[in-house]
Amino acid sequence: MKRHSLSRRLISSVLLIELIFAVAVIALAAAYERHAQLRSFDIMLEGRADSLLGAVQDAEDPADNVMLDRTGLQLPAEDVYEVRDSGGRLLGGSANWQGPDPGETDSTGDHIYWTRINGRHYRVLTLHGLRVVDPDDKGGGKPRHVLVVYGAPTAQVWHQIRNAIVFFSLSNFVLLLVTGVLMAWLLHRGLAPMRELATEAERISIHRWSFQPPDSAVETRELAPLASALSAAMQRLETSFSQQRRFVSDAAHELKTAVAVVKSSLQLLAMRQRTTEEYAAGIEVSLVDCERMEEIVARMLTLARAEHLTTGQQSAGPSDLAAAAASIAQQFDSMAELRWVTLKFTADGPALVPLSGEECALLCSNLLLNALQHSPPRTEVKMSVQTELNSVELRIEDHGDGVDPALLPHVFERFSRGDPSRSRNTGGTGLGLAICKAIVDKAGGAIVLESVPGHGAAAIVRLPVANSAAGTESIESSLQTTPSA
Amino acid sequence: MRVLVVEDEVRLADNLAAALREGPGFAVDCAEDGEVGEQLARQGCYDLIILDLMLPKVDGLTVLRHMRSRDNSTPVLILTAKDGTASTIELLNAGADDYLSKPFDLGELIARAKALIRRGKGASHPVFAIADIEVNTLEQTVRRAGRVIDLSPTEYRILEYMVHRPRVIVSKRELLEHLYDYNWEHHSNVIEAHISNLRKKLMADSDQQPVETLRGRGYRLVADLEGAG
Repeated sequence: MKRHSLSRRLISSVLLIELIFAVAVIALAAAYERHAQLRSFDIMLEGRADSLLGAVQDAEDPADNVMLDRTGLQLPAEDVYEVRDSGGRLLGGSANWQGPDPGETDSTGDHIYWTRINGRHYRVLTLHGLRVVDPDDKGGGKPRHVLVVYGAPTAQVWHQIRNAIVFFSLSNFVLLLVTGVLMAWLLHRGLAPMRELATEAERISIHRWSFQPPDSAVETRELAPLASALSAAMQRLETSFSQQRRFVSDAAHELKTAVAVVKSSLQLLAMRQRTTEEYAAGIEVSLVDCERMEEIVARMLTLARAEHLTTGQQSAGPSDLAAAAASIAQQFDSMAELRWVTLKFTADGPALVPLSGEECALLCSNLLLNALQHSPPRTEVKMSVQTELNSVELRIEDHGDGVDPALLPHVFERFSRGDPSRSRNTGGTGLGLAICKAIVDKAGGAIVLESVPGHGAAAIVRLPVANSAAGTESIESSLQTTPSA
Repeated sequence: MRVLVVEDEVRLADNLAAALREGPGFAVDCAEDGEVGEQLARQGCYDLIILDLMLPKVDGLTVLRHMRSRDNSTPVLILTAKDGTASTIELLNAGADDYLSKPFDLGELIARAKALIRRGKGASHPVFAIADIEVNTLEQTVRRAGRVIDLSPTEYRILEYMVHRPRVIVSKRELLEHLYDYNWEHHSNVIEAHISNLRKKLMADSDQQPVETLRGRGYRLVADLEGAG
């Protein structure tokens, strides 16, 4: 992709506009200059023709003729002229001219015309003048009509106009040059905050997420939205990245410990020669350790999938949470019986929630397993699904030891130390509740764990009814309060 | 020798305890969380503490710091599933003597445990020679003047403990504390019987008794026997 420079575009646009104006100004100036020059040229022509008119004298002959007295006349050598009397008789003319073109002198009025004489451009004036010859003291004198034709070469005029055009062109060119340089410098200065912003943004890397937009960018009205958007995006990315990193680190810890168990079991077995029974027992123990590891891996994958779906767009389902809960309750019945725990399930009808059937089952089984694992013999575990106006509540209660209030805020964290099943070694992975939270979050619901230490705990999940976006917010706010012991 | 294993993963703790009992014949106690671990460590009867870092209630690093702040100088071997230079430096600076990353090799763990116990008692070589008695803690064999002496596991453990503390009076109580874990019913006359057997076996071919009995105070390994060598 071709890259283009904003500054260059701006500068060339401005220069182009300036150039168009300059051409217009030069054209106008040239037109005005031509007009002014020709006007003064014409005045000069008239002046010279008048002086010729003044040179017409009485010829002092019997025929009472007039003549052209050229003494005292100072006319440029290249000028051409001709003077005739009313009768058309030539009184005099310049030697370098054959006379005006026929037709130009026919009209009675004065006029000016262009012509070429000896290969040069001339402007010629025809003047019908009235000359009073010999005015004496008596106030007499004879008026004589004389035709004066006077021409002068226009080369000088054109030279003047050309000079004016060259002057305007040069000064405009210099102006363009100065504008370009000045604009480049000003833009460079003006865009400094943008460059600073880019420099700061360049420093972002996997190891350094913090983005501190430079003050110059924040204080620039055009850049402030970009700077704050970048910094907010970076913050979100950093949070998500550190979450991922923590998950990987936690997962590595769990897996390393699980591997350590398997490895140490086998090494212990290999430490010395043992009986067949000892070997058989050792292998059995190792297999149990392997199953535990498998379980951790499977749950980690489930959690990763659930969390990945959280960021997905469309919600799955709808499916019936009550049906899923009933089926899970049935599945866990024998396990509850083995532990001498009574399992009670109630539902007030179908409850459609925006989750897939698999997710509903996962949610119910994780919560129920958790409750069963913490239930001492001869107690009761209650699971219920209730439909309200626009939400569904899943409630699972046990009568175990409850959760340490200090650990309550952390129970939904991955590999939570608050999950007592881990230290009791009941097979928990510390991921069950984290998976539940990811599923509930995905559906836009809320999950809390209420606990009275020594008397039991209750997991309460509130989900919006499928296809009713309303009420999601109220669910989240209504479950914000966690009753203490 | 008596070792405390503080590890919340019960299966791992069981395996460690079994390996330490079977291999070098240590007495082993286990604690499942940092709180219990700290209480046990406070009794001061351990020759080595194997400590996991991520523990319920009180984490391993805090347990270690508390121990060191109370001048408990028992060697500590840290088990960690996190590796990284920063945490290694933090551990060693907090007073850890050694550390192993999970998953570790049991053989390496036992070798390190032995080395830490040795160094904790001021010795650096795994073969001890006191006068004409040679105790090889790697092979767990005892020779006197080049001849192999066959000892029972408990007799060997008593002698091993004593060669780590030559010329020092070791009381019966100290022997009980360091040679038996909480799983054993122990009485001081058990020690007396074992000491008596040990003395007999050591005297089989010689006329000088290296294990001295100081009535009411305990026992002492005599380092400079007359005419020995």
